[in-house]
Parts: sequence; C-alpha cells; structure tokens
Amino acid sequence: MLTPVVIILKICENNLKKLVIFLFGGKGVNRRQFIKRALYGAGGTAVAISGFGALTKAAPKPALATATNEETTVFSSCEMCRNQCPVAVKVVDGKVSKIEGNPNDSGFGGVICARGNSGPSMLYDPQRLKKPMIRTGERGSGKYKEVSWDEAYTYIAEKVKELQQKYGGESVAFASRKGPHDWFFRAIGKGIGSPNIFSHEATCPMTRSVALHSMFGSEAIAADYGNAKYIVSVGRNWLEGIHVAQTRSIMKAIDNGAKIVVLDPRFSVTASKGEWIPIKGATDLAFVMAMANVIIADGTYDKDFIERYTSGFDKWQVEVKDKTPEWAEKETGIPKDTIIRIAREFVKHSPKAILDFGWRTGITPNDYQLRRAIMFVNMMMGNFEVPGGYYHKKYAAVLKKFPEMSSYAKTLGDIYQPAFPKPSTYRIDGTGIKGIPGQLIPEGDGAVSQIPESILTGQPYPIKGWFVHRFNPVISVTESDRIIEALKKLDLLVVCDIYMTDTAMFADVILPECSYLERYDKVFDMSGKTPKYVLRQPAVELVYPDTKPSWQIYKELAVKMGLGHYFPYEDMEEFISRQLAPAGLTLDYMKQKGVWTPEGMKPFYIRANDHTASLDDIVHRTDSKIEFYSEEVEEATKQGIPKYEQYPQPQEGEFRFVQGKVAVHTNAGTANVPVLNELMPENSLWINQESANKLGIREGEDIIISNGKYEHKGKAKVTQGIRPDTVFCYHGFGRISPGLKRAYGKGINGNKLINNVIGEVGNVCTSMSFVTVKKA
Amino acid sequence: MNEKTAELYLSFAGIFHRPHPEVADNLEELIELWQEEIPESKVYIKEMEDYCQEYPLVDNRLNALWEHYIPLFEVGDIEAVPYASVYFDDNGLVLGREAEEVRGFYRSCGYEIGNERQELPDHLAVELEFLALLASEGKIQQLLEFEENHLKPFLRLVLPLIIKSKRPVYSNAAKILEIWKLNSDRKGD
Repeated sequence: MLTPVVIILKICENNLKKLVIFLFGGKGVNRRQFIKRALYGAGGTAVAISGFGALTKAAPKPALATATNEETTVFSSCEMCRNQCPVAVKVVDGKVSKIEGNPNDSGFGGVICARGNSGPSMLYDPQRLKKPMIRTGERGSGKYKEVSWDEAYTYIAEKVKELQQKYGGESVAFASRKGPHDWFFRAIGKGIGSPNIFSHEATCPMTRSVALHSMFGSEAIAADYGNAKYIVSVGRNWLEGIHVAQTRSIMKAIDNGAKIVVLDPRFSVTASKGEWIPIKGATDLAFVMAMANVIIADGTYDKDFIERYTSGFDKWQVEVKDKTPEWAEKETGIPKDTIIRIAREFVKHSPKAILDFGWRTGITPNDYQLRRAIMFVNMMMGNFEVPGGYYHKKYAAVLKKFPEMSSYAKTLGDIYQPAFPKPSTYRIDGTGIKGIPGQLIPEGDGAVSQIPESILTGQPYPIKGWFVHRFNPVISVTESDRIIEALKKLDLLVVCDIYMTDTAMFADVILPECSYLERYDKVFDMSGKTPKYVLRQPAVELVYPDTKPSWQIYKELAVKMGLGHYFPYEDMEEFISRQLAPAGLTLDYMKQKGVWTPEGMKPFYIRANDHTASLDDIVHRTDSKIEFYSEEVEEATKQGIPKYEQYPQPQEGEFRFVQGKVAVHTNAGTANVPVLNELMPENSLWINQESANKLGIREGEDIIISNGKYEHKGKAKVTQGIRPDTVFCYHGFGRISPGLKRAYGKGINGNKLINNVIGEVGNVCTSMSFVTVKKA
Repeated sequence: MNEKTAELYLSFAGIFHRPHPEVADNLEELIELWQEEIPESKVYIKEMEDYCQEYPLVDNRLNALWEHYIPLFEVGDIEAVPYASVYFDDNGLVLGREAEEVRGFYRSCGYEIGNERQELPDHLAVELEFLALLASEGKIQQLLEFEENHLKPFLRLVLPLIIKSKRPVYSNAAKILEIWKLNSDRKGD
C-alpha cells in the first residue's frame, strides 16, 4: 500500500513531465520515452522492433500461403448438452466449418441435433470468456480485471487455505454439470478434504437413479425404445428434450407402428405424435398406481417373471388394491375408461412396451416413488432384458460375466490417484447417512440445492466457498433470487465456464475454459446394448489463446495448492493412452474413428431367447431379486413401498407453473449461443385460451407472472395446448447476466418463480409452485 | 514522418490493447503526443487529463481502466467488439475471412502473431500495432494498402461504438483516432 507521501511524489512526477513539456515546447528530454522504448527497444534504434508484443518478426510469406480449402474430418464428441454425442467435425484451413454426426456410430447414424450443429457459432463467439478474471467491485457489479493464470491460481489457493484453516475443508463446496471433467474438478475438492462435492443431477433425473438403485442395485438401466410397440411417457418429451440416439429410436418405433401415449399437462411435440393425456399436475403416481391396479385385477401380469426375478410384489399388490381407476379419475382428471384402456393396451404389447421412467427434474417431493412405481409396472409385465423393454447397459464389467460375450469386453484402465484425506465430517445434505432420506441420495451426486441453504442458514454447518464448473445454479436451481442471496454471502466463489453466466457474474475468480472443440477429455463409456467408448479431441487450435481445458486448469491449480500428486499425468494424450492400454486400444485408433464398439457384436438382451435366463449378474439387491419392497428405502424414508401422496392443486385464479425443455436449447446452457439464440431468443408463457379469455389476455401480450413472493414479466402464448389450470414456459431464458448479451433480459426465467422445495431424496421439484397471471 | 506515424499508431495500440501497467503509468505521455501531433484533439484531451489526475497511482488507474475495458471490449455489454471479422462477416463471429486476410497481410510483410501477447489477428490494437511497425520500418506502400483495405473500414464501424460508450480514456482516444485517420480523409474528399 502506498503512503500519502508516495502518492504526492507520484502526482509530482506526472506534473513534472508536464512542466518539462511546457518549458521546452514539447521537446523535453523525457518526451516520448515510453513510446520510443516500446517501438525501438531500449537502444533507440530500429533493430529491436518489438511494439507491445502482439506481433513478431518472421520471414515474409505469400498472403494466405497455408490456405488449401481442403476439408478434413476430426472425430470427437459434442458438448452442447450433457449427452456428448459422437460427432464428425469438418475442418477447413484450421477452422471448423461444420459439425455432423459421427457415421462410425450406428446408434447415432451420423445425425446430430440443432444444438450440435450450432457448435461452431459458440466456438467463434466474441462473447466467450477469454482470460482469467478477478473481481474488483461488488459481487454482481461486473467489475473485474483480467489476470494471468498464475495470479488466478494464487488467489484461489490462498483463499482456500484461509477457509480451510478457519472453517475446515468441508466449508468449501464443489458443484459441476456431470461430465468427464469431474475426475479433475473433484480431485481438488477431495484433496482439501471436502465431503461436499455435487453434480447437477438433483436438478435433473436423480430421482430416477434413486429408484433404479433401490430396485436393481444399479442405475445403469436403459429403455429399448426402437423395438417397443407401445410407449407411455410420464412427462418425458423425447422430441424436445433431445438425446439423439433415443430420439431416433422413438422415431423408429413410431415408423414401425408403435403407439405413443403422453401424460403431460401440456401438449408437447412428443404428444403431437401420439395420444395426449392432459393429466392434472403432480398426480402422475395416481395414474401409474391405477395402471397397476387394473393389471392386477385383470390378472394379466407376468406371474412367472414376478416369481422368478422379484421380491416384495405382495406389498405392492396391497398398496394399489384401492387405487382403482375410479379413484385415479378423481385425482388425475383422466376418465377411468381411458386409464383402463391404456393399462390393457400396455399389457397387450408387453414385453415390447415401455412405461417410461423419465429423464427430467423431479415433479414432486416424492418423485422417486413415482419412478419406482413406473418401473414396478414395467417389471410386472416382465419388460426387462428383452427387445422393446428395459435392459441393463452392457459395459465391459457386465459382459465379462457372460462367457459367450466376454470376448467383447474390453475394460478401460484407471489412472491411479493416491488416497484422498478422509473428510472430517458428514455432508451438508446428509448423503450416505443411514436412517434418513440422505441414505438414498447417490454419493456422486448429492442434493445440490442444499448448498445455498447451508450458505444462508449455516446449517448443518456453514459453507463459505463454492467452486462451480460448467454449471449455472442461478438458472438451474429453483428460487433464483435466493441463490443470488447465497452467492453474495460467500467468502469465495470460483466459476469455470465458457461464458459469463448468471452465476459467473457473482464470482471472485472466473476461469475461462476452452470449448469442447479445442480440447481432449477423459475417454468416456457410453455403453448401451453394446459397449462403447467415445473420444473427445481438439478439432482446432485454441481460438482464444489464454483459455484452457479443465484437465489442465485443475492440474495447475492443484500444483499451486500443493495437491499436484493427485494429478499423476503430464498431458491428456498420456492420460488417454493409459486409459486405453488395458482395453488394447490406442489413441491413434480412437482418433481415426472417434468411437469404439466391438466389431460384430449384436445387441445383447439376456432374456431374448430364454425367458428364464438368470439375471443374477445384473441385479445387485438381496438374493439378486428386483425389489418392489425395499428395506433400504423403508429404513431411509419409512416408505419401502411407494405410497400416494396428494399434493395441493391450484385454487381459482391460480395456475400450476411447469417448465420443460425445448429442442434448440439445453436448459441453462445455450441461450446465448449465437445460432441457437437466433433460432429461439426467448420463451413465452403458455396459457390456455379459456383461462386467458377470463383474464383478458391476448396472444403475445405483455404479462406479469407472480408466485406471491417474486414477479416476472413475460409474454403470453395463448393456446389450446395446455390444461386450463396450468401455465408453462421453456426453461433456460430470462437471463440476468449482461455478459450473455444476446440472451440478457429476454424471456422468462422459470426458476425465479419456482419455490425452493428440496425433495425427499434431495431432488429439485419443478411442479409444486402456483402463480397468478395478469396483463402488464 | 514515419517516426511520427509509428509513434501515433503505437500510442493508440497501447490504449486499445488490454490494460497494461506500463501504458497506464505512461498515459500522460500518450496524451501529450496526441496533443502535439493532432492539434484538433485538444477538446478531448482535457477529460483524459482529468482522468489521469483522478487516478495518479498506477494500480488504481489500471483497475479503473479494466473497469471500462471489460464491458467495452471483453465481456458484459461488449459495447464495441474489437475484432474486425465480427463486423465484416455476416455471422458476427471471430476468426472470419477478415481475420485470415489481415493475418495473411502480416505474413506477407514478415510478421506473425506474437507469443508474448497472444491475440486474434484482427483485434483493433493488433492492427494498430502492425501499422506502427510498418511505419517504423518505412514500409509506406504496405502501410497505405493496409490502412485503406483493412484498418479504415474497420475504424469506420468500431470507433463510433467506442465513442458512443462515453467511457473515459477509450471514448476520447477513439475520437482522437477518428480525427487523425478518418476526418482527415473527409477533409480531402
């Protein structure tokens, strides 16, 4: 810190320069020293031309000498959403010209979605983060200075050390959008002894994971949509919440004559391809239980399957005994005859039938029980390990257990990390603690919305620091204003991202990651009916030279923090080669193809040819039985069998507020991506025609939506395609960061209006809030 | 003549590069240079002098420059994207045809993008620095060609945005650069 005397001297120095100019008519001895030095170097001759270092001297070359206009293809993987589809990146003269699906992957068939196509526009976006930055003004003020990576690492390392000393390593939380970066990102958290490491899954389909684990002892269960003849969606929207391979499978099923039934308060694109059942919000479990009731009453369930492969069915029978179609009609608003018909159609097409387990944020606090009940109905019909039903993913560890398949099993290697210190206390969300719901929360995921709660309340203990990697809780987690309030209380917020997100704008330190088109990542396992490994590799050099891949960022930060020994690799070529070596694969091979899947292997369903084949090797519950009744769930929540809970319905003048995905955007991730923003810059509020008429609201009019605590402006989309008691908007809009210049302030941020309710297994709940709507 | 042009170009490059301690420390010198060599700049000089007096210490001055540089050129509002391609290519992205063309021009004159200060070739400051180097080497023909084909069309689009931002130092520097490079053209029309 400079003293006042030094300040005065400095002022005098500046004034002295001016005095010299005044006295000597601008020809003083100090004149243009700096510029001359910069231009000619210290010697004052033209020999040492340097300028400011933006250019260096080289032998002259003809302009554009390197331009060939030849197109090359780099096989890699997309990252415009979580699915990471294999892609073929077309490169001309060192620039990405186009992205297509990887034709070497039959599951994706050389196809990608609009988001995948938009990758080049993100790569070359002038609004990307370009340099590490440290905050210089109030949180959220947007006042930053750019710093070197070393300065950023030093700042973080010192702050973390302070927090560790003052509050313990557990006071620093880590949250990321799940992906291959987690190996590196999480090593920082584990290295400082923090147990509070979270994925985004609680804002996504974590309840499904909980359900699958409670029944099968594995989350790795998937649906064989392409071969199904009857598919019932419970709020799933494959044609807008796109997973390319699954969306293609759904379209294949439709082409082959499958019927699609969609339970959704809103008429989604998927609903338009089949039968739309506009179910009353938060009553899906009633519908599913009534389906079970009908099937049991008809005696049409697969008794052999139940007996051979499951346990606890009797308790389920008891639980649904009074869940009749008549009862369900009152709950769901769906005529009992419709429920009975759908249940019987489902039976008729089983085992090539799928009551879909969903891939979405939890609807209600007990959403995991809905997912369990859905899978119960599927298992009642034996729709498992047969074409057109559910199946366990066939990754190497599974295939090894089947002698006829073991030759296809090639296991990736692990990179050894020394043992991490054992956290000195439990997690803030109770994950892993027996006897409470936290027992059911997947350890690798956690209940991410507990982080802001602990920041704000200090319970069960304070969180003072938060590392966020490619995740945007301000938009992704409910009650945005509460999240912001929490961010403002932190002692340290570090955000690593590509854009100045709505969370990054509150950060102390911002670390600019390079895009997926400029980096390697850990090889990842995308096994389905056959094993599959996928490579991400750089298609082009860094566009912004001072951005870095996450594997490098966290390795360098770790070194600065004294945790370098947890990153035992030099670079990602070495890391990947070590991963591939035990599988007999090489980086060169993966670079040539982008994917590996065993040659000649056909989709493997354990019960395809033998309906009595053992499932012992894929079901990891007691006695290898698929559990209807779960002791573990009973211990954690006192509800070993799902029970129906009646949730409130909107009163007169209120609407249930729901949100969902749109095909051209990825949740909170892409609203600012140039091409996607052009396709859809903002959302609007879907409101039923009849409801809008009562409120005097017309199509496109400005409206104000209120949940009693927060208000949001928006525009009305008046439609018949939604229940009169429900309003809907697409997720991911209404962005508050001015750094997302295209998306800033456009549309509605649904999560501002959704109350903060943490579900029973830590899940976010999207459909539990009511709003009023009026003309603006 | 070449020396004066080189110094002027480099002074503007210094301003439009990312804020640097040395440039911040010597801001008064740049102002003096403009005052002397571009007499019409007088009206814009006063505000810059006031700014220098308001932030006499380098660190404070540097932070104050960052406060304006980031929303002006980097993230946030990005009131004036500093990359020429964004203006000349339909899709508004970086590393477009214009970037490749100026990179090619640099190469033809014996320059490559440097390792020390890594930047895209069509960044405003890089183009200005390139012209400073050409001027200092007396490569007047190439300088004029680059000015006409690349710099001036870019300045006509980006300078009004910087001026409009009313951000101290940057807005005034842009106005002075406009006077020096663009208004003189208009006088000759």
